[in-house]
Amino acid sequence: MNFGQILLESFRSLAANRLRTGLTMLGIIIGIASVVLMLSVGDAVRAFINKELAVLGSNQLIVQPGTPTEGGARRRTNEAPTLTIDDAYALADLPSVRGAAPGIQGFFQILYGDDNSSSTVIGATPAMFAVRNWKIDRGVALADADVRSANRVIVIGSNIASKYYYQRDPLGLVLRMNGRPFTIIGVMAGSGRTLDGTDLGDLLVVPISAIPVVMPRPRTVQYIMAQAKDETLMQEAEDDIKELLRDRHRITGEKLDDFQVTNLASIAATGEAIGAGLSIGLGVVGAISLIVGGIGIMNIMLVSVSERVREIGIRMAIGAKPKHVLVQFLSEAVVMCIVGGMIGVALAALGTWGVNSTGKFEMELSASHVMTAVFFSTAVGLFFGYYPARRASKMLPIECLRQD
Amino acid sequence: MVVIELNGISKSYVTGDVTTPVLHGVDLQVQRGDYVALMGPSGSGKSTLMNLLGLLDRADAGSYHLDGKEVTTLNAAQHAEVRNETIGFVFQSFNLLKRMNVLENVALPLLYAGMGRAKAKLRAQELLDQVGLAALGHRMPNQLSGGQQQRVAIARALVNSPPVLLADEPTGNLDTTTTEEVLGVIDQLNREQGLTIILVTHETDVARHAKRLVRLKDGRIVFDGAPALVTGELSEGPPRASSAPSGGSDPSSGGAWGQYL
Repeated sequence: MNFGQILLESFRSLAANRLRTGLTMLGIIIGIASVVLMLSVGDAVRAFINKELAVLGSNQLIVQPGTPTEGGARRRTNEAPTLTIDDAYALADLPSVRGAAPGIQGFFQILYGDDNSSSTVIGATPAMFAVRNWKIDRGVALADADVRSANRVIVIGSNIASKYYYQRDPLGLVLRMNGRPFTIIGVMAGSGRTLDGTDLGDLLVVPISAIPVVMPRPRTVQYIMAQAKDETLMQEAEDDIKELLRDRHRITGEKLDDFQVTNLASIAATGEAIGAGLSIGLGVVGAISLIVGGIGIMNIMLVSVSERVREIGIRMAIGAKPKHVLVQFLSEAVVMCIVGGMIGVALAALGTWGVNSTGKFEMELSASHVMTAVFFSTAVGLFFGYYPARRASKMLPIECLRQD
Repeated sequence: MVVIELNGISKSYVTGDVTTPVLHGVDLQVQRGDYVALMGPSGSGKSTLMNLLGLLDRADAGSYHLDGKEVTTLNAAQHAEVRNETIGFVFQSFNLLKRMNVLENVALPLLYAGMGRAKAKLRAQELLDQVGLAALGHRMPNQLSGGQQQRVAIARALVNSPPVLLADEPTGNLDTTTTEEVLGVIDQLNREQGLTIILVTHETDVARHAKRLVRLKDGRIVFDGAPALVTGELSEGPPRASSAPSGGSDPSSGGAWGQYL
């Protein structure tokens, strides 16, 4: 009995009971579709997080004031005025660090001509543009002179430029921040959400010396963004920063740091882990539905075997060996699973297309997930089809023939 | 030449705690080319004997030489092979597979024997020609009359050229006319090709077609002789000592079927 004949007979007997076959396959279809979709969702989340991190800039470390105590009382990071602009300049000289930029930000009412809006404004030094990988589209970035003289100049994001200065050149125009006039000197390129939830295109950047935020002590800052020379130096940079700041802040021995360093590589790793965890978790959900579908297959195959006992008897009487009977029923289960798996993949593709067409989230169906699905559907068919098929093959011909 | 030799074959059925003996040490020899009618009242064990002869069931004790080979010790797969190559079955209820057309039904034993589909179909068509159903190969079994279905079953039984045909009440579901039609085919197979035939029946009219009558009662052979000696259901002739068949053509002389035997 060759392969083609076995397949032909499988399709024929599955087709003889279309409704039952369809309903049984539905379990596999849903199972495979959910496995594939869930794996894709996990991947998409990972890709999304990586993309967000890329917008933020690479190899970054954030230094914030405050004590990094886990548990127990901890002062809110921004309340302790321990970091200064001079700390930032000192950090920039570390060999493992490419740049370090101090920052102060606040929420202000902005008046663009007649338009009124509230936005976060960042007070920064020119170093911030390098560290955070901000690119200037038109005009210029902040200059050291702007910081030194606390010039009221501002660099705006691309979204703001297109929203408030539609078809006009914003360069040289004046906007008002808390009533004070700031001259627009540059427009940044790009947009996209950053980790703190704001959009790159919505940024407003002024010299750190000109931002109307009152700090508890002179020259103190809210945070310092530092950038390691490359990704292999992230840990070294973190250690160097800690050592230098402890030294500058005269913290010795067992005393706790009065600052904390957040390594964005670890955030990236966390993001990666979240994506992977999501893939696994959702994959398990899919796998459970696949198992449920497999049990459905087993159930129906058992029914099918007991319904076709006479057929089995006839086949045995004319020379079917146990292995012929085994293969016949096993192939019916596997055919059902593979066809169901293919429909499931098609369904997942449709779902992916649906998600992508909303434009909010990007998903793709990777070949490896499709392979996984095909592999699993075959495995489910073999696993859950084996027992019924074996049962059929072990029957005595006379017992089969005696049944009606 | 002895094609079937049973020695001390016993069989009982166990249902729960109750053991029902069905055959008590049956001895039987059948020569190649013989035509044996197996008769007996219900419960006499004739169907059980038939199932054992056809390797559809296993005996509890005794030996069974089929075509010179001891078969009681073979495993399930080997039994399947023997059924495929050495025995053709014809059942009372035809037992055609309803999802396959007539030609595929006839070809199926060849597929189990490992023959390719195209070759098997050609061979199956030859058999359909011989049972006079050449044009019906593409019909489904349920589109045929009972007599036609039984002729398809005979074609299927013989497609792999077995030396022995076992027919379990082959005319039990047929009317008088089609009974004669089917028996005609079977008679011809025995006469022209020397096919060994064992046929279970209730009807003396059917048994008269055979060369030899074996009557079973309560699991024992109570009569073995020429059917002409039997005048009615209840009459018992003198047992025949020898199992040698009367007459019968030489198997090698063939006829239309000879080339396959």
